[in-house]
Amino acid sequence: MARRRTFLGGLLATGLGPAFSWAKVGNPRFLSAAKTPQGAYVLCGLDSSGQITFKLPLPARGHAAAAHPSQAKAVAFARRPGRFALVLNCATGEEIAALQAPTGRHFYGHGTYSADGSVLFTTENDYETARGLVGVWDVTRTPRRIAEFLSGGVGPHDIKMLPDGHTLVVANGGIETHPDTGRVKLNIPTMQSNLTYLSLDGDVLEQVELDAGHQRNSIRHLAVSQDGTVAFAMQWQGGAAPDRPLLGTHRRSDGSLTLVPKASVQALNGYIGSVAISEEGSRIAITSPRRGVAQLFDQVQLTSELEIPDVCGISAVDGGFFVTSGNGICRSPQDKVVRHPLAWDNHLVPVGNAGA
Amino acid sequence: MREFATAAMVLWASFAWADTPDVTASVTHHVLPGYDLLVQNTQALAATAEQECSASSPDLIQAYHRAFDSWISVSHLRFGPSESEDRAFALAFWPDPRGSTPKALSALIGAQDPAVRVPDAFRTVSVAARGFYALDFLLFDAQFTTDATAYTCALIQAVTTDIAANALAIRDGWLNGYADLMLMPGNDTYRTANEAAKQLFTALVTGLEFTSSMRLGRPLGTFERPRPKRAEARRSGRSLRHVILSLAATRDLALRLSSSDPDIAQAFDTAIMRAERLDDPIFASVSTPQGRLQVEILQQNVDMLRQRLTEQVGPSLGIEAGFNSLDGD
Repeated sequence: MARRRTFLGGLLATGLGPAFSWAKVGNPRFLSAAKTPQGAYVLCGLDSSGQITFKLPLPARGHAAAAHPSQAKAVAFARRPGRFALVLNCATGEEIAALQAPTGRHFYGHGTYSADGSVLFTTENDYETARGLVGVWDVTRTPRRIAEFLSGGVGPHDIKMLPDGHTLVVANGGIETHPDTGRVKLNIPTMQSNLTYLSLDGDVLEQVELDAGHQRNSIRHLAVSQDGTVAFAMQWQGGAAPDRPLLGTHRRSDGSLTLVPKASVQALNGYIGSVAISEEGSRIAITSPRRGVAQLFDQVQLTSELEIPDVCGISAVDGGFFVTSGNGICRSPQDKVVRHPLAWDNHLVPVGNAGA
Repeated sequence: MREFATAAMVLWASFAWADTPDVTASVTHHVLPGYDLLVQNTQALAATAEQECSASSPDLIQAYHRAFDSWISVSHLRFGPSESEDRAFALAFWPDPRGSTPKALSALIGAQDPAVRVPDAFRTVSVAARGFYALDFLLFDAQFTTDATAYTCALIQAVTTDIAANALAIRDGWLNGYADLMLMPGNDTYRTANEAAKQLFTALVTGLEFTSSMRLGRPLGTFERPRPKRAEARRSGRSLRHVILSLAATRDLALRLSSSDPDIAQAFDTAIMRAERLDDPIFASVSTPQGRLQVEILQQNVDMLRQRLTEQVGPSLGIEAGFNSLDGD
């Protein structure tokens, strides 16, 4: 433990100079994976009007990406249960390096940089024991795995850094899978999801579990505001059942836990694909590709609903939320729509530290 | 927020709209008869096990095969009543990458767990020890058939009783409300007929994917490391049979959803014929280059089917292929 701490501390202090800034690649506001009409997979940068600023090939279907806080670098994660992630230079299109999951591990498709960009944290499955892990990588030069620690549950999916820069929050979805059985869910009857706060050294700081009525609610995606409010979006695994919320917020500072009733299993076909929160934390938006709907909330009040088939990517921007869909739609809060011949994948990742 | 509100309820009609597929026919002629047969055959299985619980009983073995056949023929319909209360899990705990089923059965036997005497108690044991795949062990694996005791007998009876109860609960779930949700959309589960059709289409495509990646993919393993012992229900010799039954059942659903598209029928027939010609009931030959090739070709046939359905039939019916909605992540 002590050794790991020293090691990390040293790294965080390094802070190497940027090779290229985001300005160099047309100042994209977002990153998104996509599928081309030819069936190839790419990672794109998008500007605030929905124009593509760069397009880089990926070897297989992507999921989320992690944008470096200052340099024009991003890590594109393969879709679960992928074994590798690519560090891409978004200026040159060059693949800087590939992260290979260690033996017995696979990635879940999400990761986050440390505040200074020197360390990357990835959610992983230690699949022979079905333990969720957070992998820790030194990404100052050639990525190197330097540590791993328990995520605090089974099936960790999304992971985000809190604004304090030294707390991670992980969505442990609770669902056990094994690469031998692909995406088959192995433990639905006994699944247990939670939200876990961890120090950068892997100490569990706090865990939040919903009550027994939510046993089948899998916490999958997260968005964090500047005041540390965590919006968590869930996916219902229980079949027909009384209606329940699929969206909640939690704040460590005052311990408040709030569920959002209108973002419900019935309203959203049991499934939220992505979540975003405004910087100040009062406005939250979610997407349900299965219902073809995006919902916007002010606190817990539903303020509007937008029907877009296969909508999924969403990100907070000035004046509202930007959304993307599997039909190529990019929609700004000002209702400007650009349509690309691409199927935008699950997540629209903000570049820099703004919003979600 | 206002910008969201002004654009609210805008429908991006992004697909070429055609006829909404016939959900009614799929429910009344595919789903309901499939579950009726499952109820009939699982009740017969439970009744037979009450009379004869020995793994060497031909009647019991025949009843097992018949009931399992009818489950495989509805196993692609994993939504609604089959997902409630883990019924489908309790009927079919497979794949089982950690070998949980034999472990859970041994644990029950080792402890002589009295749960086998009371159906309500048995419903609370691990799903790994319940359902058809538990019977594959209890009736066909020497670990359980050799020196079977009165407890093993009671366990077999408990498993078959539980299977019959689950099958009945699923069928009743359909009859007592769920079928109406699909037949009369405009409710919170299915807002439109198109959503109901989409559910059936998703079940169809997911069922084919399961056949390709699990029923065929698990024994295939990799070229360097074939895994014939991972074949589904291999102890009772049912692995290839499941592929054929499942293709036949999904063919029926696919034709109902595609207005009997002759190309789709032809593609299914090609895959089914290839499967029927395979002389390899438990995919034991995947370790040999020739045997492996045959199974790989069958897998390609199934993959092409699935691709054709998602890329051609889905969109032509106004059902989105659903890049994100089908993703599940």
